[in-house]
Amino acid sequence: MGFLDAIMGGKKKLKAPPAADKLFAMSTAYVTLSTGHGIDTKGVAAIVFQPLATADFEAIVSEMEELLAGTGADTGTTISTSEDSHGYRWIELRDDDIEDLVVGVHAVSDALMVGGYGDRVLAAVFAYKDSKGRRVYFIYNYKRGFWYPFVPSSGTQSRDGERELQIKAMIGTELPIEPELERWFPLWGIPI
Amino acid sequence: MAATKTTFTRDAGLQSRMLLTLFLLGALYVAFVGVLFAAGVQGFMILLIAGGFAALQFFTSDKLALHAMGAREVTPQEAPELHSMIERLCIQADLPKPKIAVAYTEMPNAFAIGKSQKSATVCATTGIMKMLTPAELEGVMAHELAHVKNRDVMIMTIASFFASVAAMILQFGFLFGGGHSDDDDGPGFLVILLASLVVYVLSFLLMMALSRYREFSADRGAALTTGRPSALASALRKISSGMDRLPQQDLRAANELSAFFIASPKKVIGGLFATHPPMEKRIEQLMRLEGELQRGVPAAA
Repeated sequence: MGFLDAIMGGKKKLKAPPAADKLFAMSTAYVTLSTGHGIDTKGVAAIVFQPLATADFEAIVSEMEELLAGTGADTGTTISTSEDSHGYRWIELRDDDIEDLVVGVHAVSDALMVGGYGDRVLAAVFAYKDSKGRRVYFIYNYKRGFWYPFVPSSGTQSRDGERELQIKAMIGTELPIEPELERWFPLWGIPI
Repeated sequence: MAATKTTFTRDAGLQSRMLLTLFLLGALYVAFVGVLFAAGVQGFMILLIAGGFAALQFFTSDKLALHAMGAREVTPQEAPELHSMIERLCIQADLPKPKIAVAYTEMPNAFAIGKSQKSATVCATTGIMKMLTPAELEGVMAHELAHVKNRDVMIMTIASFFASVAAMILQFGFLFGGGHSDDDDGPGFLVILLASLVVYVLSFLLMMALSRYREFSADRGAALTTGRPSALASALRKISSGMDRLPQQDLRAANELSAFFIASPKKVIGGLFATHPPMEKRIEQLMRLEGELQRGVPAAA
């Protein structure tokens, strides 16, 4: 954010949106996670966004859902929608093939961006489990174009920071990981 | 290009008015420093001393403000809903997570303090959390985060620097100027005194105008972050009607801090002297944004 923008209180939008290939990096990184470290997909991913109560927005969403249902017939991806207590909408995609999940998530975000609503997208979330059956999430922050691991632990809003850092070390450079640790925002109440 | 489109268009009018105000304020201060220099050593010394005081105030103001409000930082375990709401807003606004504090008072209000984005604290009162729905509270917190994003505390502090210098010189003047007869003070000091008076009055008016523009722009920022201008508008309406019924003691303690509140705790003095624009104007702006949304943004060209 430039000096003038700060002074003028303008420009909430970031520079160019991050290239989509940062999202697609998950397909290759998953091979390392799965074969090298026993972190396997739960066969589900989701994209979460702020729904707008406008006809235009809802039209774009339902059009996109139809499209996904159409391609899902070929790939076997099923979708479902839910809304959480903060009023955000989750579109959940189920498919055992990680590449289909990545493509599906990209289709959702792309539809919103083309419709002019890219800044409503909060994040994409991929659900995994490790060899001990513990939940591990990978969160993709569209605004920054970075991934980070998120491992919730038992208790109100507590997370396993050590485990998250271990996972960051495992993944190395295969995934563009958010360099600023204070931006590893938790997402509580992930429905997947 | 589809990728660069945002949900709302820019408000060029607001930005140019703000730029003009900043320009006038800057010009005023440049002239003031000129007079101080021209008046010689005396004026320059005053500038240094006053600068020292202002810096001290600047670096201690955070804790003082929180303390004055009876606010306390809360952990995610104590206020899980508030924390997760703000975390999501931070993702949307691309901000690091601020500290979160709660003030235990019935007065429905919220404010943001902190000199930088990384050291910011946002605070909500228990009163506002009780009064608003989650979506309305989200709008209010997004408004406070927009202040953080726009670095409003920093900008208003810098903008008020010379105004405080001028105020101090005026106080010096009344304390020591009137005491003894003409001789050694000479005409230099009188010039400084007069200049200070002019600077004080003009900068006060300009700063109030600037503060009102920052409020409009924080409302706008909140609408951009949440995509729900109406929720913030509804929150403002509730807060303004709630404020009228409140006891005065709370307000007195809060007067000093009013610049960064969601709504001004003082009764509306209106016009040139208000730090906050009138509620109706703010709601009107938000409704314009809602109108933009409802019409729908044009599809990719």
